[in-house]
Amino acid sequence: MTVLYGVPTVLGYLLLFGIVFWSTRHIMELQIDESVAGEVAEIRAAAPADTIPQLRDVVESLIARSPDFFYLLQDGGGKVIAGNLPPMQPIAGVQQWARPGRHHHDGATGIRGQGSLMGSGVYLFVGLNTAQLHEMGEAVIHAFLWGLALAILFALAGGAATSFWVLRRIEAVSETSRDIVRGDLQRRIPERGTRDEFDHLAASLNSMLDRIQTLMEGLRQVSNDIAHDLRTPLTRLRQRLELARHSADAPCSVGDVIEPAIRDVDAILETFGALLRIAQIECGTRRAGFSRVELGDVLRTVIELYQSALDEAGRTLDLTIDEAPPVRGDRELLIQLFANLLDNALRHAGQDARIALEVGRRGERIAVSVADTGPGIPGEFRQKVLHRFFRLEGSRSTPGSGLGLSLAHAIAALHDSELALEDERPGLRVTVLLQPWSGVSAVQCLA
Amino acid sequence: MRILLVEDDVETAGYVRQGLKEAGHFVTLATDGREGLMRSAGEEWDLLIVDRMLPGLDGIGLVRTLRGGGIDWPVLFLTTLGGIDDRVAGLNAGADDYLVKPFAFSELAARVTALGRRPRIALPETRLTVADLEVDLINRIVKRGGERIELQPREYRLLQFLMRHAGQVVTRTMLLERVWDLHFDPHTNVVESHISRLRTKIDRGAALTMIHTVRGAGYCLRANS
Repeated sequence: MTVLYGVPTVLGYLLLFGIVFWSTRHIMELQIDESVAGEVAEIRAAAPADTIPQLRDVVESLIARSPDFFYLLQDGGGKVIAGNLPPMQPIAGVQQWARPGRHHHDGATGIRGQGSLMGSGVYLFVGLNTAQLHEMGEAVIHAFLWGLALAILFALAGGAATSFWVLRRIEAVSETSRDIVRGDLQRRIPERGTRDEFDHLAASLNSMLDRIQTLMEGLRQVSNDIAHDLRTPLTRLRQRLELARHSADAPCSVGDVIEPAIRDVDAILETFGALLRIAQIECGTRRAGFSRVELGDVLRTVIELYQSALDEAGRTLDLTIDEAPPVRGDRELLIQLFANLLDNALRHAGQDARIALEVGRRGERIAVSVADTGPGIPGEFRQKVLHRFFRLEGSRSTPGSGLGLSLAHAIAALHDSELALEDERPGLRVTVLLQPWSGVSAVQCLA
Repeated sequence: MRILLVEDDVETAGYVRQGLKEAGHFVTLATDGREGLMRSAGEEWDLLIVDRMLPGLDGIGLVRTLRGGGIDWPVLFLTTLGGIDDRVAGLNAGADDYLVKPFAFSELAARVTALGRRPRIALPETRLTVADLEVDLINRIVKRGGERIELQPREYRLLQFLMRHAGQVVTRTMLLERVWDLHFDPHTNVVESHISRLRTKIDRGAALTMIHTVRGAGYCLRANS
């Protein structure tokens, strides 16, 4: 990780060095060329006739005056007339070569200058020592080498620090996950409150872990409940069968044994069916099929379904329906939800209790509630009755699997609502908040 | 009836076959989807009872292929898949009825009978008559012994269903499905209350009771006791 961090830094630095070195050098060369051109112009101005004697005089006087410059004046035969350079090939234009010059710094000097052909083979060359150029270059290289060393150092240190920090936080995450795998489900990834990406990651992972833990606990709870609650009817069934075997010669008909046994088995199967249905609803796939449901129609169906049972029991249903606009949901499941609530009220509220069904708006939502004036549910049990198989002591003797409200709760949750249980003083009020149907969600549903 | 049972579970097959034979049907068994398809397409049947989970070709595929080929024997699905969506998938594939395992044999027998009597081509009926009970389907008028009986819309539908299946046992679940279009079982005995209310209206003052309760199975409308 450190290396990964360092390599681009160093590469970037080298690139920068290359650009600076090249451009500095280029500027210096231009400066030399300019000085040389100036000198040449001066010579030519001082010797307007371009004759050898005139030029020689000028060059010789210049040699004495400007020690930084190199001069060469040679004739057509290559013979040096004046100057402080050996004879050379008469080539016009800028030339540069390395040559041990007068300024012996470290031998690495050279000459850069300009040659001019003056006619009849006469060649004039004016040059400058490139020592300055080399010095400059060296200074640049020097500075850059130091800089590079520092850059590498910083890159390595920075990289090491970053990777140490990053790796430590990653290690914290993997350590936590190892602990969780080992069975310590309570462990969570520490959050520092720095609000950086790592904190976000930790928060997301923690909420995922919370969810998993809730689900696992739910699952464990359900398995325990199933094991416990199915044991009772299975035990009863077994006892019944055993009793029948023992009293095989007693005057009891086969039907006397088989009928209740089948009833027991049916009850067990019904419980399984309800559990499966809750599981299917909880997995949420039904939500994909949500559509416009006429709430009025749903309630009419349910009321109509229960009307004769209510009449038969000599009970009345008080209806208060302010408005029943279309809602977003699953018609069949909503019917089952309200049927379950009415079922519940009918069976648990007692003979003289009144039952009321009310529909009204509550904020954005449509509130549908079923209330009764029965014994109600004590506050501490109000959440528990939504759990699978939970039954109040007093209602253990009434028929039912203890899954009715769980199923209603699952359906409500599928419709993004709680199943709110409130004290009706006396009695119980169960409220579901449904989403009104809107055109916008219709488009979303189609897409 | 000639019934083809397509079921791979030997025990269930034996149980269904035995029961249906006792009820007077001729039952042939196919143990996988392919065999079921071959036999159902190649012979005349009054009813197919098809398990949904089959080796070779699943029940949905079988029924879809049959319906695609224009073969319209009534089909009853038997299945352990009791999901809400599974039922819809089964009926969409072209099945006529759907029964979730485990089931009471009386439930299967009632449904088999109901399917078998279903007219192949639905003729527009105008009148249903059982003994002195008449239903005028056009004007929605119910008369018993010439006397008019006022019924609620749901009671009318209930009576209509019972009369179309006169002499047959119809179960509580069948009534919930066909009369109310509900596919779950309410705990409170709502069907029983509706039946008893209908019975009061139909049988009141008459010498003959027509709506009978069949213990452990369901209800039956018939003229003789």
